[in-house]
Amino acid sequence: MEDMKQLQEEIHRDRRGFLKKVLAGTIGGSLLMVYSASGREIAEQIPGMREEDTVFTKKNFIFIVDITRCIGCGSCCIADKNEYNVPDGNYRTWVERYIIDDHDEVFVDSPNGGLDGYTKPRTDIPYPVRDTFFVPKLCNMCEKPSCTQVCPVGATYKSEDGFVLIDEKRCVGCGYCIQACPYSVRFLHPVTKTASKCTWCYHRVRDGLLPACVSVCPVQARKFGDLNDKTSEVYKIMREPHIISVLKPGMGNEPQLHYLGLRREVV
Amino acid sequence: MEKKYKSSYFAHVLKLAVILVVAGGLGIFARGIFLPETMGQYGHYRGSDIQDQRDVAIRNQTNDACFECHRPIRLIHKAGVHKTVSCEVCHGPYADHVKDGKVIGKLPVKRGMEIKELCLRCHNKVIKARPETVIKVVAMPQHLEEKKVQITHNCNQCHMVHDPLLWVRAAYEMAGVPMKEEKK
Repeated sequence: MEDMKQLQEEIHRDRRGFLKKVLAGTIGGSLLMVYSASGREIAEQIPGMREEDTVFTKKNFIFIVDITRCIGCGSCCIADKNEYNVPDGNYRTWVERYIIDDHDEVFVDSPNGGLDGYTKPRTDIPYPVRDTFFVPKLCNMCEKPSCTQVCPVGATYKSEDGFVLIDEKRCVGCGYCIQACPYSVRFLHPVTKTASKCTWCYHRVRDGLLPACVSVCPVQARKFGDLNDKTSEVYKIMREPHIISVLKPGMGNEPQLHYLGLRREVV
Repeated sequence: MEKKYKSSYFAHVLKLAVILVVAGGLGIFARGIFLPETMGQYGHYRGSDIQDQRDVAIRNQTNDACFECHRPIRLIHKAGVHKTVSCEVCHGPYADHVKDGKVIGKLPVKRGMEIKELCLRCHNKVIKARPETVIKVVAMPQHLEEKKVQITHNCNQCHMVHDPLLWVRAAYEMAGVPMKEEKK
């Protein structure tokens, strides 16, 4: 009886060992499969970016926001916050709601930068609404940026490939650039105490991915592409007769961010 | 007496020159110490910052990245009218879920009335600023009344969130009624 019990225990232990081995093998095998799957490169969204080995990209990127398509869902804001862990109350990109009544009075609001979406209609419009639309805002990546001129330490600059960037290690947080930007896209990052702003996702773009906001936009209201590439959507838009304009053209900053279907009321 | 006077006449100029040279030298020395090595490499900024900018971690991936593993939902999501909706907007960024090919955390799945909130982010008709040529908007609760269901119903009771018309289409097929083409 005692022997029997011992034997049974032996088998039991053996069985457990066997099961363990089988399980380990299965899990290991499936993990390996997952590994090989994730080892595969995720297809690049901007063709030819990953082959580039120059310091600056040779492509001429521009950004187009299609006002006539934006539904104000705030997906771009969510993606942007996720990508950079932007602190609450600061926005690298945001969506404004414009309401113009038939007395030509303009009402603009942007609850939490559009991050939570637009849930409530405006009830304080005195006259019938003539026109209403959403305007997503982000860094204009000016050809002639006024923010870089005022930096006393050379922390913000326009790179050769046209991106206006901020060197976090050099920025002293004086805030001159924040005041100089005509589009108010810069803010003082409360954690790093340096100026911060949208970079058109420079790190993603150089890795062949579209900016986070462009990638998630469900209605393709945000378009990003190479103007040198004659097959790109942005090239076609810029070449074909569209109503294309930039924000505050009178400032002379020559933004590379273009708006499609922009109303003159938008500032 | 005459000689001494002459020498001190030049001495203060000499002193000034020495001070200037030393100050200039110190200035250049300090500049060398305090300025980063790559400062001015491409312009008035730290050249190595270009690499630093490129090294920022990518936290959002593409839908294709999610579909690498999430096979069953891929077929549904890619076939439906929600194919342009990003996974990460509802579920959170890729980087919180996968790191170096290993799952490091569970991403949230919206449940209950959170789903309705999510749907209405885009499809709420009361927000007039939405271009109706781009998105199908519904008014709540008129939509539920119109479809003759209880107004407490949640969106996902009729609409599969990854392909909102999947079950609706199936229901029409089962009933043998042609589904009327709705404007987008």
